[in-house]
Amino acid sequence: MSKIIVITSGKGGVGKTTTTANVGVGLAMRGNRVVLIDTDTGLRNLDLLLGLENRIMYDLIDVTSGRVPYKKALVRHKKYESLFLLPTSQIKDKSAVNPEDLVKLCNEMNSEYDYIIIDCPAGIEQGFKTAIAAAECAIVVTTPEISAVRDADKIIGELARADKNNIKLVVNRIRPQLVEKGDMLDMGDIDEILSINCIGQVPDDEAVVMATNRGEPVITMNGSPAGQAYKNIVGRICGEDIPFLKPPKEGFFAKLKKLFGLL
Amino acid sequence: MSDIVKIKGLKSGLQLSFATGASFDDVKANLLDKLQSGNNFFIRGTTVFVQKGYFTEEQNEVLRRMFHRHGMLFSTELKRPNLTSPSSEPAKKEPEPIRKMMTINRTVRGGEEIRTQASILIVGNVNPGARIIADGSIDIRGTCRGYVHAGASGDTSAVVVADRLMPVQIRIADVIARSPDEPETAEFAERASIKDGQIFIEPVKR
Repeated sequence: MSKIIVITSGKGGVGKTTTTANVGVGLAMRGNRVVLIDTDTGLRNLDLLLGLENRIMYDLIDVTSGRVPYKKALVRHKKYESLFLLPTSQIKDKSAVNPEDLVKLCNEMNSEYDYIIIDCPAGIEQGFKTAIAAAECAIVVTTPEISAVRDADKIIGELARADKNNIKLVVNRIRPQLVEKGDMLDMGDIDEILSINCIGQVPDDEAVVMATNRGEPVITMNGSPAGQAYKNIVGRICGEDIPFLKPPKEGFFAKLKKLFGLL
Repeated sequence: MSDIVKIKGLKSGLQLSFATGASFDDVKANLLDKLQSGNNFFIRGTTVFVQKGYFTEEQNEVLRRMFHRHGMLFSTELKRPNLTSPSSEPAKKEPEPIRKMMTINRTVRGGEEIRTQASILIVGNVNPGARIIADGSIDIRGTCRGYVHAGASGDTSAVVVADRLMPVQIRIADVIARSPDEPETAEFAERASIKDGQIFIEPVKR
């Protein structure tokens, strides 16, 4: 039996695909058998983040249209043997896959893998509806901006309407200094509005950009705060009770240091 | 001859009945006579009813054309709203006056709209982007950050109460108030109501 998780956000550019790649790699590093399904048809990115673009032979559309069995389309990760990617088409659009196709596919995969992670496209249209159809658990990614939080709120409502009630939150790109100054929403503000269980607070980290461009998720880089935050998210998905990193405190100490430095 | 066609005034128009044994041609000639004589019964725009099945379809069509030429409507469907099936009327009206309280025990999220003809109690937050529209009053046991409209059908005595009242816009009946441009944090429960034609917000104890 596999656990099917959809990673979604509503707003674009908040880090759905980055989160998918990191959580996938993190789960595979722990020895789980993991499949990542990219449902962002037409705007696929997940293969780039994993550095697997050159190995793609078939895609999700080939599988759902019955041209090839899903196993033929899976791309095995070059480093983590238990991690597979099912890429989507860059040519077709979202209407090429419908919810029933994805449910059927996930049912087929069910016995073979520990985790099936679905990367959802932005928006609340067809692509979103397809992506969430098979999932039993959803991770909503947001950033500490009112627009992203507003969209996350809407998405949580949509998920609840689709009877997906196991919803977790990941807050991405937190900038401790801004939060400290009161110029950015803090976790309290976000919790107050979204009121769902938070499993991750990822600080803004330059290493994420470098990792993305290199095709190696940041979770594999030691010493990166974002990487550590993703490791903690993976731990919490596996049911471990891990306390949160305290990004605002770091900011506070940095401020103190600065203050002493000035004196 | 004048008894061939009898005219009876109704709320919704004129009903025609005809003397027994009168032929269609007699009726037609008689009606045409009446129409051309400028009888004040036949005012333009009046609907004229003839019992269904009294004449054939073709004959009805002839009459319809004739009345149309004189600016009147012709119908075989008699509408008498005050008499039609008295039993069904009260049954239809019954659910309306019962103003049951609607309760929602969850957070109302952005993009949701809740519309009720009654009053509404929300145990949870109303998030930005959500709309609550009630014909009665609105009570929110939580933070209100959305759009609330109480007394939506015109009840100016309706109120909005919330533990923390910081909506984007409050409407009561047809009075509108928007939030201040500088965001404020509400610290105690407040009630909004109409006083002197304006929305008035005051703290309340819960």
